[in-house]
Amino acid sequence: MSKAIEVNNLKKSFGELQAVQGVSFSAEAGEVLSLLGPNGAGKSTTISMLSGLLTPSEGDASIMGHSISREPLLAKAALGVVPQDIALYPDLSARENLDFWGKMYGLRGGALKIRVDEVLEIIGLSDRQKDKVSTFSGGMKRRVNIGAALLHKPKVIIMDEPTVGIDPQSRRHILENVKQLNAQGMTVLYTTHYMEEAAELSNHIAIMDMGKVIAYGTHDELIRMVGEQTRIEVTLNMEAEKVLSSWRSTEGVSKIDSLDGKVTALVDDSNRVLPRLFEAASKHGVRITSVDIQEPNLETVFLHLTGRALRD
Amino acid sequence: MKIFDIAFKDLIRSTRSLFLIGMAFAAPLLLTALIYFAFGSIASGDMSMADIKVGVVNADVLPANSPLDVSLGENIRSMFFDDSVRSWITASDYADEAAAHGAVDAQEIGVAVIIPATFTKDYLAGKTDTSITILQDPTLTIGPTVVRDMVASLLDGVAGGGITIKVVSERMTVNGKTLEPAGIPSLIQRYINWYTDFQRALFHSLENAALVVTSPAPGGELSNDIQAMMGLVMAGQLIFFSFYTGAYAMMSILQESEEGTLERMFTTPTDRTTILAGKFLAVFITVILQGAVLLIAGHYLFKINWGEPGSLALSLLGQMFASVGLAVLLVSFIKTSKQAGPVFGGGLTMLGMLSGLFTANMNIDIFNTMGNFTPQGWVLKAWRLSLAGQPVSELIVPFVVLFAMGIVMFVIGARMFGKRFA
Repeated sequence: MSKAIEVNNLKKSFGELQAVQGVSFSAEAGEVLSLLGPNGAGKSTTISMLSGLLTPSEGDASIMGHSISREPLLAKAALGVVPQDIALYPDLSARENLDFWGKMYGLRGGALKIRVDEVLEIIGLSDRQKDKVSTFSGGMKRRVNIGAALLHKPKVIIMDEPTVGIDPQSRRHILENVKQLNAQGMTVLYTTHYMEEAAELSNHIAIMDMGKVIAYGTHDELIRMVGEQTRIEVTLNMEAEKVLSSWRSTEGVSKIDSLDGKVTALVDDSNRVLPRLFEAASKHGVRITSVDIQEPNLETVFLHLTGRALRD
Repeated sequence: MKIFDIAFKDLIRSTRSLFLIGMAFAAPLLLTALIYFAFGSIASGDMSMADIKVGVVNADVLPANSPLDVSLGENIRSMFFDDSVRSWITASDYADEAAAHGAVDAQEIGVAVIIPATFTKDYLAGKTDTSITILQDPTLTIGPTVVRDMVASLLDGVAGGGITIKVVSERMTVNGKTLEPAGIPSLIQRYINWYTDFQRALFHSLENAALVVTSPAPGGELSNDIQAMMGLVMAGQLIFFSFYTGAYAMMSILQESEEGTLERMFTTPTDRTTILAGKFLAVFITVILQGAVLLIAGHYLFKINWGEPGSLALSLLGQMFASVGLAVLLVSFIKTSKQAGPVFGGGLTMLGMLSGLFTANMNIDIFNTMGNFTPQGWVLKAWRLSLAGQPVSELIVPFVVLFAMGIVMFVIGARMFGKRFA
């Protein structure tokens, strides 16, 4: 398969801040590649460069073989971008919005009309096409937001955290949309900080942190990086600081981090390590109120790689 | 082609913005209409003031060997019979005070002016206690007040003349000289000249008056003075709201940036110059449309003659270049649409005020001077010329200045936008 997206040593600095520090990855045509990482990891900056919003400080990338630096208009023509926030005209109808965005992608006349009808059908809003977008629910707006990126039948589509801040039903609808688009042969670059979304959708996952890709592979390949380790999540009756240093030096604990009142640890064998954690907690007068033991997942991988929990 | 798509989309959005429609069309028309109904309808006869019925008893006799051609009493009397006041004052002569008193009692007249027989003689003799009696119907207020003010104004002048003669006479006596009767007419003439200039300086002359109410023209048409005033009032509104509309329309670029649609446009295969050009084109079209609609509305609603077609076109084009240029420049300095309110409200209102837009019909010197430094001031100059019926050749200078101002502001603003969205 040819490369639909190819990113080579992409860098972006804002003054002293190096937001993206030499990112490289690629996506084959027809696959879903997820960029997974916490807020501030550099995901949005990376896709802003890919979609032409930001100029790279260094490096280059190509979309369907077109360099974003040397052939930006050709690269953009092959690309559909679904922004994280709704980017539509609220005082125009759904149809007027799609008409306008279709024209921005070079569609005209009869071809535009036919394609707008098709997209309205795809997003299930044919019967509301004449209503202003401002009258739509959040989920309906999301659907139009996605539809506007599909008008020119792009080979590659970039979706920037499309499920942030929406209800579970709409989230599910969007995930199903992504699968359908991919099934039609579209290459999807999907950014998220929800590991379960990345796991469900992706052929490949690039985990980003601090402006770098710290791991790349299929879901199973990434999980195997953790080995036989287990991830346990412990809730305490007080701040974790009191016991954290003691637990960090406990035998069998390889990584440990505290976030939002919960302690996440990577341990070799939970059966042997847990009693030691209870004992140390007891010595410090700390009471453990809940324990959750999980099979290795992408959060475990992130903790394994960075020593930190995957932040929301 | 995409430039037009972007401009068309912006125009569609503008037509759906009640605020923009209100500020671009409704506000200037309503404000002009208020002034039109306040003044224009008086002149067009829609609102009439009841005639003031005045009875005059002029017993004044021109003394023998008087330096005056006619008695002062006759001057006062003729003031009420003058053609210029005939539409609102009906004057009648009465033989004596008793007859006039009877007419007031019978409500045949509202006010009677009694001029004594020795009025001119006493005046020329330098007496300051000479007086005119005014009788009025106690049920009336406006008419007698107007008559009293007219007589008082004239008597102020007369009394001033008397005082002048007295003072000159006293000063000459102190210096061992005598004021000869033959010298009094020239002295009075000099006083009259000074008094006339003084009145003019107080805007009491026709030339300087802010508003001159004249009798209605036949057929209910606006008089020339009212028409000229309405033209300038409407021009002031047109200019102020044109600059406001331009700035507000340009603000859509900030709104689009906040809504995320501008960035989304940048992700499409459309270069940024095209996108910015489309945004600018929309502002050009909006300002031209607004100007055209207001000019047509002003012509048909307020009977304003905007001048020769060529002069009108140059004024409108100059206005468009200047308002779009200033809009682009202003908005290029603003980061968010929230900042735009105070900047537009404060900045454009201040500039408009300094340029004399709100006092356009008064032609005040200081605003004319300050207007030389503002685009609004030059647009007002252009419209003044066009409204005065000046040919295109007279509009060349203001148009060139406006074009140059517009281009300079546009280029600076566009460069700043270019950098911001690079």
